[in-house]
Amino acid sequence: MKLVNKISLWFIAIFIMITPISMYIAYNGIKRELDKSEVERMKDVNDRVARQLTLGQKPDAYTQGHPIAITSVATLPSQKTDIITQSYINSNLKRRECKMFVNSYYKIGDNNYKISSYNFVTKSNQILSGMLGALIWKLLLVIGSMSIAARFLSKRLLASFRETMKVIHTFNLKQKEKIQLPQTSIKEFKELNSFVSKMTNKAMEDYASVKEFSENASHELQTPLAVIRSKLELLSETNINASQAQLIGDMHNAIDKLSRINRSLALLTKLDNQEFETDEDVKFCRIAKDALAVYDDWISLKNIEVTTHLDNNIALRIHKTLAEMLVSNLLSNAIRHNMEEGQMEVELTQRKLCVSNTGPAPEIPTKELFNRFKKSNQCDDSIGLGLAIVKQICEVNKFAINYRYQNGWHSVSVYFDKNDKELQSKMILDKEPHLV
Amino acid sequence: MVQIIDLILPVMKVLVVEDNKELASSIQDYLAGEGYICELAYTFDAAREKLTMFTYDCILLDIMLPDGNGLHLLKVIKEEKISSGILIISAKNALDDKVTGLEDGADDYVTKPFHLPELHARLRAIFRRKKLDGSNLITFNEINLNTDTFEARINETVLNITRKEFELLLYFVVNKNRVLSRQSIAEHLWGDYTDNLANFDFVYQHVKNLRKKVSAANGGDYIETVYGLGYKFNASIYETGQ
Repeated sequence: MKLVNKISLWFIAIFIMITPISMYIAYNGIKRELDKSEVERMKDVNDRVARQLTLGQKPDAYTQGHPIAITSVATLPSQKTDIITQSYINSNLKRRECKMFVNSYYKIGDNNYKISSYNFVTKSNQILSGMLGALIWKLLLVIGSMSIAARFLSKRLLASFRETMKVIHTFNLKQKEKIQLPQTSIKEFKELNSFVSKMTNKAMEDYASVKEFSENASHELQTPLAVIRSKLELLSETNINASQAQLIGDMHNAIDKLSRINRSLALLTKLDNQEFETDEDVKFCRIAKDALAVYDDWISLKNIEVTTHLDNNIALRIHKTLAEMLVSNLLSNAIRHNMEEGQMEVELTQRKLCVSNTGPAPEIPTKELFNRFKKSNQCDDSIGLGLAIVKQICEVNKFAINYRYQNGWHSVSVYFDKNDKELQSKMILDKEPHLV
Repeated sequence: MVQIIDLILPVMKVLVVEDNKELASSIQDYLAGEGYICELAYTFDAAREKLTMFTYDCILLDIMLPDGNGLHLLKVIKEEKISSGILIISAKNALDDKVTGLEDGADDYVTKPFHLPELHARLRAIFRRKKLDGSNLITFNEINLNTDTFEARINETVLNITRKEFELLLYFVVNKNRVLSRQSIAEHLWGDYTDNLANFDFVYQHVKNLRKKVSAANGGDYIETVYGLGYKFNASIYETGQ
């Protein structure tokens, strides 16, 4: 529920809760005042009648047409006046009426008189119903004005909050500039803004330093690796026997792997960093052909049958080295995870690059295939970063990538448009789309 | 005529500008083994001093030096019109295209961790281009390699070999009597793509094919297998025998 609506509801609820109390007070006040003035008026009339009696005049002037009764009483009650209210049902009007009697006692001469007047007064439920009628109007007015005011106020008061939310929403750890938050005079929002900007600045700094660290670390590692490799090479020049040669060979393998992991991680860091902006188009078809040529040896070594369908003139806005890496990673993957005498298909059209290969079913959940160091086959000689790099390259270039395994074929498709229609329909077909 | 070029190959003078002493000494050891004169400079200043006093055929230049950027040194070299060939040693790779220094006048670059035979092969290629006026002929005994046409001859017989096999043979001849690991060969032949080539079976295939083709043309069987490690082009194999 929106904050505005919530506040409005609370407001209205409080208003409704207070209403009976305020009505009770208002009712009492009105009733009291009405009765009081009536009583005073009648008392005054009684007083006049009494004065006339005292003067010996006939109290006609006041009694005529007035419901005033003069009776003599034996003794004067302690109170000079008493008030009696009486309700009865008016059979003509068919409603209850309320009659109020004011009896005043006077001692005129030797006689004691009771002068009694009465009048009809407004009944309490009449006042109440009048008030209720007003209440409904009042409620409607309050709710109406509340909802209009709330909308207006929320637009004004929450504007800076909304702006802040928008900034947070679009915030990206990788962005270079610090976030700009709107000025506000509201204390809470000021606090929020200062907290948000502090937090994001800190996050950006940390991210930058981690990034710098990992980039430096991988570069720093290259030199010791070069030292080890060169020393091993010098060692293998010396007089060594077969078992020593074997040991050196194994070390070479390990260094090779280490250096590949290191280079791949450095690349991933760089990709994270989005350092590959380019304003040149690359002939993707050319790159695909070149990459296929490079893998020719490997393909023939494994006796893999390759079917290619490469469209010409496919120009894409992508860094050339990244394009090469993307294609070669996909191809080498298709070869590595293929079986002897297997098949492989490479299809390149304006909208996608699809590399498919035959091979055993994946052993790990296919979603995880694109994670770093996830390998379907752990004893494999690959370092498990190839598909992570492919995924990252796709992300950087706003390509979409889709993997599926069907009828013994693995196929990885790279769509050059993230919102490709074919891809969308595929995602609907696949109950569990492996979109990354 | 062809053989003379190899004989007149002058002694190469190399300056190694590398702040890591172990690595610098490895390079020196390896190049000294080839009969080159190799001097070391561990800092930017030391390198500059040496450059003002001596001339070198080739300079191996590390980009990251403790007291300055190697690329600045490259600028100095270009400004002072020092004609040495320059091979950049960089911890960064092709993606950091700005640091390769190729636009700034370097002749080539290798990425750490490099293989010493690879470094040597590149150095020799630069040297060939610079000093021998772009001579494209490399000769060893009966083997003649033309680096322009990628033509290989055994005596006068033209070998029917692929580009990769040619490069492999060239790599062997340049690094003769050296043990070449399978990794080094793979990286030389496939470059950056070796990242993806999981096994080295096809290095074996290529070497096997090459040996077969050279033997078929009555060339000597120079290439030996060093078990568990790689291969070696044994230049002295027939010297005692014949």
